[in-house]
Amino acid sequence: MSYTLRGRLESRVAALLPVLLGACVLAAALHRWWPVELVALMAAVGLALDLEVWHRLLPYQPAWAAIPLGAVELGVLLGIVYGLGLHASLGPALALFGAGWLASVLLSQAGFPLLRLGYAEDGGELGRVGGVAAAGLVLALAGSAATYALRLPPVVHLAAGVHQGPLVITRREVLQGAPGAVVRGGIVVAHDDVQIRNVTVVGGMNGITVDGVRGTVIDGVTVEGAKLDGIHVRLSGVVIRNCTVDMLGNRMGQGIDISFNMELGMSMVEGCTILGGQEGITTHSSATDIMGNRVSRTTGEAISVDEMSMGMASHNTIRDALGVALYCNDRSMCMFDHNTVVGTRPDAASGIRTRRGFGILASFQSEASVWRNTLAANPVASGTATGATLETTSQPGW
Amino acid sequence: MARVAVVGSGLAGFTAYQTLRRAFEPGEIAVFGTDADPAAVWRVRAGAIRQREMRSESDGHCLPTSFPGLAFSSARRRRSLRPLLDSALDRFHPTVDEFLAHVERLRDRSGWDESFVSRRVGRVWGVDGGFELDGDHFAHVLLAPGHPGLNVPEELRRDPRVVHAYEPHGYAPTVTVVGAGLAAATEWLNALAAGSEVVSVRRREPERWPLNVPRRYFSRRGLDGYQRLAPRERIERLRALSAPSYPPGTRWDEPLEQAARDGRFRVEQSVNGSEQVICATGFLRGFRHDPLLARLVAEHGLETAEDWLVLDADSAVPELSDGTRTLAVAGVPGQWAFPAADTLAGARYVAHRFLRRIQACRTR
Repeated sequence: MSYTLRGRLESRVAALLPVLLGACVLAAALHRWWPVELVALMAAVGLALDLEVWHRLLPYQPAWAAIPLGAVELGVLLGIVYGLGLHASLGPALALFGAGWLASVLLSQAGFPLLRLGYAEDGGELGRVGGVAAAGLVLALAGSAATYALRLPPVVHLAAGVHQGPLVITRREVLQGAPGAVVRGGIVVAHDDVQIRNVTVVGGMNGITVDGVRGTVIDGVTVEGAKLDGIHVRLSGVVIRNCTVDMLGNRMGQGIDISFNMELGMSMVEGCTILGGQEGITTHSSATDIMGNRVSRTTGEAISVDEMSMGMASHNTIRDALGVALYCNDRSMCMFDHNTVVGTRPDAASGIRTRRGFGILASFQSEASVWRNTLAANPVASGTATGATLETTSQPGW
Repeated sequence: MARVAVVGSGLAGFTAYQTLRRAFEPGEIAVFGTDADPAAVWRVRAGAIRQREMRSESDGHCLPTSFPGLAFSSARRRRSLRPLLDSALDRFHPTVDEFLAHVERLRDRSGWDESFVSRRVGRVWGVDGGFELDGDHFAHVLLAPGHPGLNVPEELRRDPRVVHAYEPHGYAPTVTVVGAGLAAATEWLNALAAGSEVVSVRRREPERWPLNVPRRYFSRRGLDGYQRLAPRERIERLRALSAPSYPPGTRWDEPLEQAARDGRFRVEQSVNGSEQVICATGFLRGFRHDPLLARLVAEHGLETAEDWLVLDADSAVPELSDGTRTLAVAGVPGQWAFPAADTLAGARYVAHRFLRRIQACRTR
């Protein structure tokens, strides 16, 4: 087929319309926007390539060219998806792209020629149908964007000053603290899709409790003086970024404890500073990535992947931990890479052999993979106990 | 009472008829011709050059839409995906038998014989709101007269050794083939396969195009620019596109190279002493060779450009088409609108636009 530019664009848009409708249905079923975002991106990438590349490059496009062209478009799309962090699951995203590609091939080879008598000789132009399809696509995307905007959670601004807690959040919202906003007595997240930003939390049983909800984002918070955990997550999916948790003087609490959320997909702790506490960051039966954090002066383990967790601890800096710095325990599968562990101290008072000041310790049938960690001034650089394995590999162990 | 007439019952008329049937019943269309079999003339020519495979691809058929093409029906019949894969690679060429069976099937199911009128139309005369065809009145007429006759170079017309490629013939021990298009290439291979020694006489080297013209001229992408050309440039372009050509590929090249190495194939500038001279020189060109078109032009003072009728982009005759009537031209005389008008794709192009004109007509 020798497409005209208009024919190429009209065919593209008309072929995307059923895919977009399918994505809208999928988005409604999953309560997630990525299918619509992905189709919008597919449209943008496809139309941009049509305008700037394919039309100039291909005066005639044989049917087989759909395969390499589709592969190029998929590559560009995936690059943008992961570059923008759209959080699309790879499998469903590929399935959606595949459905779009297949729809496009079938429609251009069979559907459109049947629909419009002169499709081939008109260079893929669809006449009124093309205009209607373009309007449909714009309407569907605009409708989706409007729905997205309308469904954005309300923003609650927390003014500077001390607010007496505990603050219990029971609806979707963004709690946005002004500089100097402090909540005394803790925050409890009791609803899906809550975001807490730039708030200082002082005291409370836990500084922030997240229990039984999805889609929580905690960004830029400071937690001090919690009686138990700084940030306590149970049965919830969370992203915690750029936080500061001060647990100095609390020998039993954990800085961040994320537990029992294996079924809820990946959680993330990134860019946080944890000071003191028994465990700095710990996960239990969880799939959590722990990236780029600074943990120091803990009394148990600095970073602990425990109780059948699967997790990656990467690019973290640990200093002055007592007993164990990086810990993979209880049938967990861990990948520790590019971490810096300095100055772990032996816990002589405990009299326990596995607390002799390990930089990395794998224990009780867990499987730890390590790669390019910097270990300095630790009494024992790394070791295993009770049937655990520790191997050096660039590939994760799961 | 028929409102629409097709003058010519060959493949171009037949393809137009299939498109018209989407809007009209057989009783509303009259097809004038001398043979009810739309493939009658083409079959003889294909048989004469022993053509086994079409030059056209999957969409070289007579249906109104390009899909389903012949690759699709071939895949269904053979229970194999191979034809579809070949089609995706632009390597599928239906066999002549497949094409003829397709024409036969369409003829049976489309009501063609019901619309067919066995009569040679001698005159098309424009009247108010339509046209008189030897006394019958129609609002919309499509002329698909076909090629006006076989072309034999003037200097060879009295040579007793001469036979035209499209006339039934055998092969003498020494054969000269005049021409360099698809028919000539087919004849080179035929004569070599029959054991003959072959001399190719050609005025210029053939182009190696997969189809009759470069692919862009089959769609608006190439046509828009072509149709915007000034008359002189368009004539030059049509001349260039009329160059002899046959498809690239080892299927053609290998036997010729082998025969050349064996001393059985060579190229010369003029006819030599071969026992047989086959003129693969195509058809007479230009509307003047067709009595119906020549009379139409003369009686209505239609605009022409050298050998070509000047037509609108949709192949309608501008002086005789308006909001109440349409006179359009399909097949080789429609080249002014569509350079590959003498192909099945060209016939479909004209048919689609003819139907569009009729449907837009106030008095339809």
